[in-house]
Amino acid sequence: MKLNRRNFFKLAGVAGAGALATGAKTAEAWESKAPKDPFGCLVDLSRCVGCRKCEQGCNEVNKLLPPERPFVDMLLLNEKRRPDANSYTVVNRYFTGKSDEQDHLLPTYVKIQCMHCQDPACVSACLVGALTKKESGAVHYDVSKCIGCRYCMVACPFEIPAYEYFDPLTPRVRKCTFCFERIEKEGGVPACAAICPVEAITFGKRSSLLDQARTRMKKDPARYIDHIYGEHEVGGTSWLYLSDVEFNKVDFQDLPSEPIPKLPETIQHSLFSYLWSPIALFGVLSVVMANAKSKKNKEDES
Amino acid sequence: MIRLLNRQGVSVFAVVSAMLFCCNSTQASSTSEWTAPDQEAAKEFAALPVELIVNIKDESPYERSLRLLDQGLSIKDMPSHYFLLDSPIIKKQEDRYGPVRFMHAKHARLVRDCAVCHHYRPEDPAVKEINRCSACHQDAFDPRVVDRTGLKAAYHLQCMECHREMAKGPLSCTGCHDKKIPDHVKLIKLVDKPEPSQVTEECLRCHENQGRDMLKTAHWLWRGPSTHTVGRSKEIEIGKGTIAFNNY
Repeated sequence: MKLNRRNFFKLAGVAGAGALATGAKTAEAWESKAPKDPFGCLVDLSRCVGCRKCEQGCNEVNKLLPPERPFVDMLLLNEKRRPDANSYTVVNRYFTGKSDEQDHLLPTYVKIQCMHCQDPACVSACLVGALTKKESGAVHYDVSKCIGCRYCMVACPFEIPAYEYFDPLTPRVRKCTFCFERIEKEGGVPACAAICPVEAITFGKRSSLLDQARTRMKKDPARYIDHIYGEHEVGGTSWLYLSDVEFNKVDFQDLPSEPIPKLPETIQHSLFSYLWSPIALFGVLSVVMANAKSKKNKEDES
Repeated sequence: MIRLLNRQGVSVFAVVSAMLFCCNSTQASSTSEWTAPDQEAAKEFAALPVELIVNIKDESPYERSLRLLDQGLSIKDMPSHYFLLDSPIIKKQEDRYGPVRFMHAKHARLVRDCAVCHHYRPEDPAVKEINRCSACHQDAFDPRVVDRTGLKAAYHLQCMECHREMAKGPLSCTGCHDKKIPDHVKLIKLVDKPEPSQVTEECLRCHENQGRDMLKTAHWLWRGPSTHTVGRSKEIEIGKGTIAFNNY
């Protein structure tokens, strides 16, 4: 076939249509790999008293290094902290303007840790499958597979995974494990939920927790705002939050309800399904090369 | 006659007292220390197993208060003035603090409304009106009773919320709880027949800050009897601050 301008566009058009067709098909086909009935935790910010016992329980159960300052030191609450390689969870204090009858400002304490998304971005971003979402709901990190690329840290919408930068030889990615070894046992409860003195952390099946959250809101509508954070955010998370103040006042982000991996995975899967895109690319390239060669031959002849 | 009786009485008294003394001394040797009977009773009560009440009657706090009034139930019907909050249900999960001594009568007299704490009754009319906390609040996250807090959280939420509202009563951990001191027999590592300084050193291994505090106290800085003490103003000053012994 002689490839002139017209033929080239024809070919490109066919290839493009094919791409669109397969693309559309796989886009519909993106399926959530979320476990059907995972465990979860419901954090009730209106109950938390900021005692930092969850940090202590987490530290002991996960055998983390002893902290620089003891867990009873409440002065740490004066600054905003993030989970790091040695603390999977931290409690921060916010003054949102809420006050009591004597006009004393009332604090709101927020515990942060891995949210254990239903469709985790970190799992999708992990090149080697070191991160997996377990049936129990835990996003599990397998250090033996990890190559230390830290894509998970970039991908996480909650900026949770931390890295052992201090360890030059065998650094690990560190984040809340959801105490997966404990919760997979009958009657097992995460360390933070077990130690919490006021049950600000309720552990249970995610579906049951959503019901409980709605019941609490219904029983005491003046106390709570009408939003369960994590019910829909990034396609749903195993950890859910109930609050008496607006979530954006206590540093929760507004996140879309689409799972983060949906768009990139759709693009990637539609590009690489049946390897059509490389085939098409090389096809076009070969045509271009053939064309160039024939042109050169012609020039040589003339 | 009277004199005789007296004499006999004295001798009887002497015998009885001697016997009592013997009894006492044998008792003292068998039991190590005296314990308060009400504390022992409270301990026993705290350890009693309780069956969980699953279904509760749905009524508002106001209705409940009124119903208690109608029944004539008041703080006079209180079965016990004192409880020890030391439930095995809590200790099963976490056991970091000592038990809480709860002055039931004192709280009842202040609040004067049983329904404030005893906020629901069992659905079954045959069960008594007022039950202990652990009859309804037991294990946390029990699937039989979702929407109900476990015993530990029930205590903390109830106590702390009220203490805060009333601006009365402790809010810190050790305000209510005893500190749980670990058994030092297992912690202390000493050689046989240690020197006094070795003992001090062993204490300081963990209690470094307390050691530093001690150096600022009167126990350490004492310079003998006060010069203002009558009759002792001319005494030789012996004190930790001057002629010290065991000042490791």
